[in-house]
Amino acid sequence: MFGGIKIDRELYAKIKKFADQEGYSSVDEFVAHALEKEIALFEEAESEEDIKKKLQGLGYIS
Amino acid sequence: MFEGIKKALTRRRLGPPIVVISGLPRSGTSMMMNMLKGGGLDLGIDEIRKADEDNPKGYFELEQVKDLDKGDKDPGWLRAYRGKGVKIISFLIPHLPSDNYYKIVFMRRELDEVMASQAKMLTRRDEEDKRGDDEKMKRNYSVHLKKVNFEMRESMHIDHLYVDYKEVVKDPRAQAEAIASFLDMNLDPAKMAAAVDAKLYRNRS
Repeated sequence: MFGGIKIDRELYAKIKKFADQEGYSSVDEFVAHALEKEIALFEEAESEEDIKKKLQGLGYIS
Repeated sequence: MFEGIKKALTRRRLGPPIVVISGLPRSGTSMMMNMLKGGGLDLGIDEIRKADEDNPKGYFELEQVKDLDKGDKDPGWLRAYRGKGVKIISFLIPHLPSDNYYKIVFMRRELDEVMASQAKMLTRRDEEDKRGDDEKMKRNYSVHLKKVNFEMRESMHIDHLYVDYKEVVKDPRAQAEAIASFLDMNLDPAKMAAAVDAKLYRNRS
């Protein structure tokens, strides 16, 4: 376990609700899982270069 | 609260906003430019890129914008567009210089429709489709839009309003009212709404 993150009360309540509903053992576990999925998405996408090539093809950047 | 005050002071220091119409290409940015023109906003356009089958009413572009991501070119020219509207696609939002205050009207459209429309445009431009596979490109766009959202949300010099393409086509007047209220520049919502041509909504998912 490392670090602490501040989130607002309303968001925490939502996270708690869905963590309970989806059977996570704790809010921490749910948050870690959600963040891992989100980061994987960022890592997986070699987005910038692909997008740039496409936009050049469409004439929107030079 | 402190953040709010800081933001208000930053905006005051930077003068009138540059109205940026943004989104992915083929998400309705040209339609929005046409609406704002109808509503009475001065636009920064140079007519270099002419109207064609993909954008029969025109592109409303400014060629200089396309170099915003080139670090070697001074983007100081943008200051001349304070109080006016400029189309700047989402890819270039992170490159907006922070010495202006921007009000961004950000167009959202279903990615499948955006990609279908882009594919047709590439074919018409006789360009090879460099997108790779659709699913990968969809993920790329999805990540890209999240990054831009973060950029807009966290920047002191940016305010933004998301506008859904379909909603504009469905109820132009209601969307025009919301946009005019966000921009707060005495635009005429009725004339903005009148500029929407639902017949141009061609790539539906």
